[in-house]
Amino acid sequence: MISFTKLFFWLIILPTLWLSPFEGTQNRFKTIKHEVIINHPGEKDPVFTILNEIQNQDGLPTRYTMDVYSVICLEEVCKVIPVKLFWNNTGEYQKYELAKGETLEKYEADLFETEDYIKLQSILANNNSPFKEVYIDEILTVPDEHGNEDVDAVSGATALELDEKDTVPGAALTCFTLWHWANGDVVLKIKAQTGKSASEIQLIDFILDKNNTYFHIALEELESRELYTAPFIDATIQKVLKEESVLRPAYKFLEKAGNDNYLKASKTLFVQGHKEQKLAALQSLKQTKQNVPKLYLDTLSDKVSTLNSYQETSLLLELMQSKNPNSQQVIKNVMPLLESEFLIARRAFWFLKNQILDDNQVNLVNAFEEQYKDRL
Amino acid sequence: MKRREFFSKGTKVALAAGSIPFITASCASTNDVVYNKKEDKWHHLGTGESGIVNRKKTTEFDVAVIGGGAAGICAAVSAARNGAKVVLVQDRPVLGGNASSEIHVHLNGVNNIKGKAERETGLIEEILLLNRFENEQESWSVWDHVLYEFVVREPNLTLMMNTQAMEAVMEGNKIKSALCWQGTTETMYTINADVFIDCSGDGLLAATSGAEYRTGREGKKEFDETFAPDEPDGWQMGATLIMESKDMGRPMKYSPPSFAIKYTHEGAHKKRHFKGFQDGIWWIEVGSDNDIIADFEQNRHKLMGYMHGVWDYIKNSGNFPEAETLALDWVGSFPGRRESRRFIGDYIVSERDMTEHKHFEDAVAYGGWSLDEHNPGGIENLSEPPSYFHYHFKEVYQFPFRSLYSKNVSNLMFAGRNVSQTHIALSSSRIMATCALQGQAVGTAASICNKRNVSPREVGQKHINELQEQLLRDDAFIPKRPANDPLDLARKSSLIFGSTTSSGAAKNLLNGMSRDIDGEINHWQSDGLSANVQLEWETPIDLSKVELKCDTNIKRNIMMRKDSRNDELYGNGVPKEMLKTLSLQGRVNGKWVDLGNISENKTRLIKFSFESIKVTAIKIDMTKTYGAENVKLFEVRCYA
Repeated sequence: MISFTKLFFWLIILPTLWLSPFEGTQNRFKTIKHEVIINHPGEKDPVFTILNEIQNQDGLPTRYTMDVYSVICLEEVCKVIPVKLFWNNTGEYQKYELAKGETLEKYEADLFETEDYIKLQSILANNNSPFKEVYIDEILTVPDEHGNEDVDAVSGATALELDEKDTVPGAALTCFTLWHWANGDVVLKIKAQTGKSASEIQLIDFILDKNNTYFHIALEELESRELYTAPFIDATIQKVLKEESVLRPAYKFLEKAGNDNYLKASKTLFVQGHKEQKLAALQSLKQTKQNVPKLYLDTLSDKVSTLNSYQETSLLLELMQSKNPNSQQVIKNVMPLLESEFLIARRAFWFLKNQILDDNQVNLVNAFEEQYKDRL
Repeated sequence: MKRREFFSKGTKVALAAGSIPFITASCASTNDVVYNKKEDKWHHLGTGESGIVNRKKTTEFDVAVIGGGAAGICAAVSAARNGAKVVLVQDRPVLGGNASSEIHVHLNGVNNIKGKAERETGLIEEILLLNRFENEQESWSVWDHVLYEFVVREPNLTLMMNTQAMEAVMEGNKIKSALCWQGTTETMYTINADVFIDCSGDGLLAATSGAEYRTGREGKKEFDETFAPDEPDGWQMGATLIMESKDMGRPMKYSPPSFAIKYTHEGAHKKRHFKGFQDGIWWIEVGSDNDIIADFEQNRHKLMGYMHGVWDYIKNSGNFPEAETLALDWVGSFPGRRESRRFIGDYIVSERDMTEHKHFEDAVAYGGWSLDEHNPGGIENLSEPPSYFHYHFKEVYQFPFRSLYSKNVSNLMFAGRNVSQTHIALSSSRIMATCALQGQAVGTAASICNKRNVSPREVGQKHINELQEQLLRDDAFIPKRPANDPLDLARKSSLIFGSTTSSGAAKNLLNGMSRDIDGEINHWQSDGLSANVQLEWETPIDLSKVELKCDTNIKRNIMMRKDSRNDELYGNGVPKEMLKTLSLQGRVNGKWVDLGNISENKTRLIKFSFESIKVTAIKIDMTKTYGAENVKLFEVRCYA
């Protein structure tokens, strides 16, 4: 199949991406075959097939390919064309190729036109295509694809309704079949394989990559290899400081690190991070079973006046109440908050009411209580 | 005949094959089993006593709802929950109407707008969720009992089964009483009520009240409807009988009964397809171009014949080898009706109101099923497609309150297929979940009539905001009408935040929109569990109720289906997104106090109710969903 050279418009559109590095330097790449089991919604049973992993000279998987069939055939009514699908190393579908001289067909033996091949490419490249939610029998029983059928109230019998932009008219079954090959089970398998094949240095690159998919691949793999050492922790902190959307998986990883690394990570995120990083660090410190020394918490409380929101302040005070109550340093840091905007001041007041205070502090707290007695 | 004469002269009652007598008012007779009790000598052998049975009863209610389908159930429960004393009168032995175990129609709604559902919330949502909890096995007869439970657990609600509302007793332009015959107890009830809601579909009570109605199809001109016929006519969409089969795992023979009507599929339109025939074929349908109610028994017999004829074709034509091992397992005997009377309100909804998405200031419900007008003739007109599916909506349309009360009977409302609309509008709004929304709207309106001593029309004219706000509070959705309840203390909070956020924002919980729609995100979603949402007030508030709307993934259908379909568009279980376990705390004098815990939540609208307490903050702690890793909320409300 590799020798198949029937190329379509998409190769013209993005020639450099797919052609130059790969075709010209093939000898430097290595192909590893993996036997995989894929569940395809058009097939009753799981399909055993071969996933080809192509690694570059550094052993980094750069792309994957798989040979599939264009149409799932029922009752021998359709023509089956072998198709090669290509993915990048995060499982994103890239392109398809047909064997030389082969063409795709529509209903009633109409051949694909040039624009149909282009449209098929755009359908397969859309991982949210309506084909994600379509049943195969809806396609098989409704040759008219343009929405003239619907569901009746009584039986709920469904018929397919697809916009013309979402399908190749007359070839919904081909689109359905190839879309699920391109965007189905195989995506997770590719991600896992990329993680497995990556070296430790490559995993650090993955962590720091702008594409968060690499971050997730790396963390899955690090957990599987039980690698919680400093270089990975540092890279994770670096990533999370820039990208708050990966905070939760990052903390799931960080919490498994050794105590020193965990505390270092949490302090860095609390001190250097924005609101979401600060909140995540405080939440983790509050809930963790790791040892959190009182001195460490005292140091954190030095930052209480720099916090910008009620939520951060309140969470820090909850942490102190639960893991470091009656610390003189914490109390000293919190006292000035009585002069803050009211909600924060009131929160500080209630925290202080539960602490052991000196006389002067008691006086200040009582004065606050008297002043705001109608608002407490 | 005047009502008084009816009582004094008596009326012939013919006990038909069923238990419901047919009263022919013009043919008075002394053989009246209902009223002439002096001739009925009940003799009790045990006591040796003889006596005259009392089979006449009079009852009083604030609101009487006629018809126990989706619309009637929602009308009755909403009125009862909002404080009215309600009776629900159902003429069948089970609740559910077309969706009951007697008929087996899926309780469809806005199933598919651009590939996703836009599910109806409010009471119908609560019912469908309850069914997912209590009827995991997807049994139709258990579903009947889920509905029964939903109704009888309401303290303000009396349910009368096997009871037919037959005739209205009028006082001027008001219905004073409904005469109702309960066949199982041979009892004639006189139900007095301030407000009557006819959700019976055919609308016999409303018709006998003199409420204006129409039948048949409007001509194009009257409402400028694209899909209406050129000239008006009398055609009404038919009723359908469903059949269901099961795979016996071995070849099964089938011989049609004598009443089967031979079916060949010859000349049938290509859209009369057999997909899913194992679960019934909706185009086994017979309608009428005249009095479809009078034709019902004749059509029922025909439908039974057609149903067996089609099954004979499936089994014995040789065209369906996959049917070889199938056998009929359940066959309907009571057709599911689509159309008959449409009562006239202050407004008649027509095609363009829907397709052009007219904005109604008095919108109280919505729909979005296609304009699914079935062909004139039904199965007796095979060359036509079974439905024209004229138009597919890309967004939901509003339904106005003015179409849900009678223009000439001052205390009569309606919900369901009999509301004020054209034949073409009906072809979309007849879907049961849409009818259920209308039901909740009129039930809620009835409670306002009761509280304020006003008519339905006055609710529409003077209290529409109150009606809409109550509906929204009770988790109904009105397109493009955000809630803005001045009593909601959450809106007066100084601060709201979520412990974590993966999408949306906590402040969205106060914006009055309880779903993501029109491209707008109106939710807050946590990043993992546990999570909490906290509201802070600068000065203490008196609080006794907190109400939340949680995610149940309303973009995916949850109604019970015969094929138990379970994919992106249809789910066959409890939505995994739904909030399962949560607790509520209030901050009193700086300390968090427990205000409530729910360990197995089963509703989208979650209510905490407690003794009034002064708080400066509340915290909603959420620890489990039914499977989703994040919890999503759409609304938080607080009330004194």
